[in-house]
Amino acid sequence: MKLSVDRDRCEGYGLCVDEASSLLHLDDDGELVLDAEEVEPELSGVAEAAVRVCPVAALTMD
Amino acid sequence: MTLTRTSHSQVDLFSDEVLVDPYPVYRDLRDRGGAVHLSALDVWAIPRYADVRRALADWAGFSSRGIALNEPVNRMLVGSVLASDPPFHDTLRAVLSARLGPRAVRPLQAEIAGRAERLVDELVEQGSFDAVTDLAVAFPFSVVFDLIGIPDEARPKMLGWADATFTVFGPLNERTLGGLDAIGEMFGWLGTVQATDLKEGSMGRDIFRAADEGRIGRESCIPLLAAYTSAGLDTTINAIANAVHLLGTHPDQWDLVTANPGLVPSALNEVLRYDAPVQGFGRTVTEDVEIDGVPVRSGAQVLLLYGSGNRDERRYPEPDRFDVTRNPVDHLAFGYGTHACAGQALARLEAHAVLTALATRVRRFRVGEPVRHLNNIVRGLERLPVDGLVLR
Repeated sequence: MKLSVDRDRCEGYGLCVDEASSLLHLDDDGELVLDAEEVEPELSGVAEAAVRVCPVAALTMD
Repeated sequence: MTLTRTSHSQVDLFSDEVLVDPYPVYRDLRDRGGAVHLSALDVWAIPRYADVRRALADWAGFSSRGIALNEPVNRMLVGSVLASDPPFHDTLRAVLSARLGPRAVRPLQAEIAGRAERLVDELVEQGSFDAVTDLAVAFPFSVVFDLIGIPDEARPKMLGWADATFTVFGPLNERTLGGLDAIGEMFGWLGTVQATDLKEGSMGRDIFRAADEGRIGRESCIPLLAAYTSAGLDTTINAIANAVHLLGTHPDQWDLVTANPGLVPSALNEVLRYDAPVQGFGRTVTEDVEIDGVPVRSGAQVLLLYGSGNRDERRYPEPDRFDVTRNPVDHLAFGYGTHACAGQALARLEAHAVLTALATRVRRFRVGEPVRHLNNIVRGLERLPVDGLVLR
């Protein structure tokens, strides 16, 4: 499974980081950085939680 | 032959009686189905969490041109950020989010926290206060007006105007008609505002700069300024008022917050879930769709009930229990997706500042009988006396 972020939609709320700090983080400018686009099966639950809390539906997984 | 089941309800969601306590009615609607036809209004209520969220994620299938439940207001809102769909919506939102997004408001945190501490110190000194007027209204007023750069002359009128801006999203009832008068007055005043009336560097002044630079049309300036002022007030005001009310009436939950102020963000999410300041917004269905097996035709008006979705037992166990440890981050109070509240980072900052200032000073407080403020869309309070402070 693969995480992706729509840069035009992401406004940097960082709620996803609270759910999945092992998969993504905000850089010093507050821009979202995906640390691992390919999500290992054991982290799929964590990744789904991150997708779920994005307020602007910018984060998706497929 | 296909059997379709259609649910109806005769309830008037916008009567005084329902607005005072809509939750039993919401539960009844959720029990009837994912889409319930409100016969009196010819509007489909969407009361369950999953359906509301799905509709919010689908801006093309559920157009914001039907954000209000009445045509005069939808016509008036043509070209505004709230009532537009992408791609036009996105150019307007970009102007707001450049100043309201998390990256933009993070540097304001210390200043806002300081303001909250000073205000709460004053109120604690007084010993008793009204949590609506003296705190929930006073605080966003002091923060938001300076940020937008609005001239002082408009401040006394702005609260009523902001309230009217929300109530007119309802059906054409008495409240909406009264609100339309107030909005006429607001746009009359806004029409006289020049860029130079707004403080240099303020969010308001930036709107005019965006027009100067050709990022948005000149005609979008006043509606965006209206969006800032009204959306920045009534929502945050009632979120703070509802927070003090809920935490005052659940002292065991307040104990948890004072023992661990790190719970403030979770507690705020629970307040917003439990009593969403914006109870719902409308949408127009743009193609035939099935919601929970109920066919809803293209052109139909739906009402996405955030306040009901937030109490949906299918999503939140024991939804009527107020639990500050629940941290329901995915609540619907800020909407979701394309039109998610553009000011939510600032709203969170303001509410966190107030609740943290209270939690670090006040171990126990007593709330008196609240007076509800009735608005077609916004759930909040008119007055909430607070006394019996026990300090930490």
